[in-house]
Amino acid sequence: MNPLPVKTWELKQATTSADLLAALAAGFTAEPSATTTSTMTFFDDFDAHLWCANYLFCRILFCGTDEQRFQLIDHAGNAEETSAFDHTKFWWDFSEGCAQKILKNVIGVRALMPVASLHLLEQNVALRNYDLKLVVKACIKSHVVDTQTTHYLTLTALRGYTKEFTKAADIIAPFVKRELDAFGLKYLLTETTPLSFTPEQTSLPSLTADMHTEQAVRAMAVAMLQQASVHVPGVIADTDTEFLHQFRVNFRKLRSLVSLLHKALPAETVALLKPTLSSIAGATNKLRDLDVFLLEQDTYRAMLPENFSTGLSELYEFIELRREQEKISVARYFLSDTYANDLAMCAAELSLPASLQTPMATKPLLRAVNKLLLNRYHKMLTMSTVIHSEAPDEEVHELRIEFKKLRYLIEFFSSLLPPKRIDKFIGTVKKIQTVLGNFNDYGIQIEFLSSYVDDNRIEMSKALSGLIAVLHQKKMAERQKVDAALANFFTPVTTNDVEFLFGATTSGVSE
Amino acid sequence: MKVVACYSMKGGVGKTATSVNIAYLAAKSGLKTLLIDLDPQGASSFYFRVKPSPKKWADRFFNAYEALVKHIKASDFDNLDIIPAHLSFRNFDSLLAGFKKRKSRLKTILKGFKNEYDLIVLDCPPSISYLSESIFMASDVILVPVIPTTLSERTFEQLMDFFDENNYPHEKIVPFFSMVQAQKSLHKSTMEAMSARYKIFLASAIPYSSDVEKMGEHKAPLDVFAHTKPANAAYTSLWQEVANALAK
Repeated sequence: MNPLPVKTWELKQATTSADLLAALAAGFTAEPSATTTSTMTFFDDFDAHLWCANYLFCRILFCGTDEQRFQLIDHAGNAEETSAFDHTKFWWDFSEGCAQKILKNVIGVRALMPVASLHLLEQNVALRNYDLKLVVKACIKSHVVDTQTTHYLTLTALRGYTKEFTKAADIIAPFVKRELDAFGLKYLLTETTPLSFTPEQTSLPSLTADMHTEQAVRAMAVAMLQQASVHVPGVIADTDTEFLHQFRVNFRKLRSLVSLLHKALPAETVALLKPTLSSIAGATNKLRDLDVFLLEQDTYRAMLPENFSTGLSELYEFIELRREQEKISVARYFLSDTYANDLAMCAAELSLPASLQTPMATKPLLRAVNKLLLNRYHKMLTMSTVIHSEAPDEEVHELRIEFKKLRYLIEFFSSLLPPKRIDKFIGTVKKIQTVLGNFNDYGIQIEFLSSYVDDNRIEMSKALSGLIAVLHQKKMAERQKVDAALANFFTPVTTNDVEFLFGATTSGVSE
Repeated sequence: MKVVACYSMKGGVGKTATSVNIAYLAAKSGLKTLLIDLDPQGASSFYFRVKPSPKKWADRFFNAYEALVKHIKASDFDNLDIIPAHLSFRNFDSLLAGFKKRKSRLKTILKGFKNEYDLIVLDCPPSISYLSESIFMASDVILVPVIPTTLSERTFEQLMDFFDENNYPHEKIVPFFSMVQAQKSLHKSTMEAMSARYKIFLASAIPYSSDVEKMGEHKAPLDVFAHTKPANAAYTSLWQEVANALAK
C-alpha cells in the first residue's frame, strides 16, 4: 500500500490556533482536544551515545499535573516508556523493560546528563466530514524558546480520505510560512535550540607522510593531552567511572607516544615529560582498580558459592568505602596546584616549536614510523622465542606490553598506512592481545585482592581467598592459551606481511 | 496475519456487533486490523461511519489484492481500517460461480495483505453459499454467534453437518453464545445442553443488551460509549479468548 501523506508547516508568526480553527471550520467540523503543555528534558551521556545511535531519551513533565514520563524514542518516532524512582543517572535506575535494555546496550556504564529541553504546547484537532467521520488528523504544536513562540501545523492523511487532506492543506495555505521536510523532536532540538548533543572531543591533527617526525609528535601529543583533560571535570564530579577510564586511556596513549618516539624529541624535553606524565597517571591508579572491582561485582559474586555471600558483601562495603576516600583524594589532586602546574608545564613543553635537534626529528614521518614498527616487530619476535610453557609471568607480561606498543604505534599513524591490510593486521594483533590481556588481568586482580586480606576480618578474608583461588585457576587456564596464541601469530607469513607493510619507505595508502 | 470470520447461516444473531467490537479491540491491543464488510447491508461500515465508493465494484473484488486496496478506508481509530460493503456485493455468489478455483479465491486475495495487517476480520452475510465456502477456506477462526434457542441450535448443527460433509476442519469453528438472556430458562437449558454436547464453545457469552443496540445510534464500538457496561466486558473477554485461539 502507498504511504499516506503527512505534512508539517511552520506557520506565520502572528497565527493563532483560533485563526486556524476558524479557517478549518469552513470545510470541516473541527474538533479540538484540550491543549497540553509539557516540558521535555533530554538526557544523553558524555559521548552522546544515544544521539549517535539515533535515540532520544527524555523526561516529559505535563504542566498542571504531577505526571512525569520517561520515553526512549527511536529514529522512527516510536516511544518506549520507562519509569524511575529516586535517581535518573544510570540505566539501572530505570524500570525493567525494553527501554532499560536499550539504555544498557547503548550507554553502558556512562551516566545520563540533561543536555537540552523543549517547552511545548500541543493541541490535536480532529477534522470530520458531514457524517462526523474523522477524515484528517491535525496537530498544532507551539514551541516556546525564551519569549519567542514558533507554531507548527501537522496534517496527517487517513487512508481513503486523501482528497480531504488536500482540501485541509489548501485551507491552511494562507497561514503557512514554509513547509518542513523532516519535522519532529530532532528538528526542534537541532534547528531551534542552541544546545548541542555532539560530544566534547578534540580530534587528532592530520598527518602527512613527509612531515618532520618531531612536528607530528608534538602536534599529536598536544591534542592527546587536551583529549585527556576533557575528562577531568567528570572525574572531579564523579559523574561516572568512564571519565576516569577515558582520561587514563588518553593519557596512556600520550605516554606511549612520547616513549615510542622519544628519539624525535630533545632529550631534555623527554626527561621533563616522562616523570611528570607518569606522576599524573599514577595518581589515578588506585581509584581505577577499585572501580574495576566494583564494576565486576556480579562476575565476582557468580564465582563463589552462596555461603561466601556475607564475606563478599563485607568486602564490597569495604571497597566502596575505600573508593569514596580515593575518589575524594583524586578529585583533590585534580583541583590542586600540583596537577595544574604539571599539566601546564607538559602542555607548554609540547607546544614549543620543533627544534629538530635529533636525527629522527627531521626524518619524514612515515619513514620513521615504518622503521619503528619493523624494529618493534623483530624485537617481539626475538622475545617470543624464549617464551615457553614454564617461562615466568614477567616475560609474558613484557611481551604483552610490546604488543600494546605495536598496536598504539599502528593506530597513531594508521592514516598513513594502507587501510585494508592494516585493519587485517590490527585484527590479528587484537586477538593475541585478548589472550595476553586476560592472563595479565587475572594476575592484577589477584594482586589487588591479596592486598585486602586481613586476619581481623575473617568472613571477608575467606571470600577474598576464595576469589583468589578461582582467579588463579582462570589465570592458569589462560596461560595454557598463551603459547598457542604466540605460535599462531609469529609465523613466516606474519613476518612477510610485516616486512611488506612496513618495509616500504613511501606512503603506502594505495593498495 | 490471521483471518477471523464472524459467520452464521442465521441472520440477527450478532455477527456485525461481534465483528465491529472484535476488530476494534484487536486494533486497540496494537494489532494492525482490517475489517472487511462482506454483508451487502453494510452494517459494520455504518457503525464506523464509513461509506463505500458509489461505483459498483463487486466484480473486481476477487480479481486482485490491488483492487481491494483502493477501497480501504481508515476508521476513526488507530490501527483499524475498513473495506466497506457495497450493495453490489449481493452478486458475490454468481461472480464466484464463474471462477475455477472459487473456494480458494478469497484466501489468495487476502494473502496480499500479509505485510500490512496482523488481523483481518470478515463480517459475513447470513447464507451458506460459494462465498461462505470461500470464507471457510480463508479463515483461521470461524467465530459463530449462537443465540441459545432451539432454532439457533438447529442452525449450528446444520453448519457442523456441512463441515462434515465437505471435510472442512472442525477446529476452525469457534462458537459462543450471543444475545443471552440469563433469566430465560430456555436460554439456560439450551446453553447447558449445547455446551455439554459441543466442548468447543467459548466461555465468554454476550448478554442481550440495549447497549449493543445503541451502537447504531452512537455509530461506534461499545468500548467508546459504554466502556463500563457488561456487554463491553463480555466482548473484551471474548476477544481475549479469540486472541488466545489465534495464538495457538
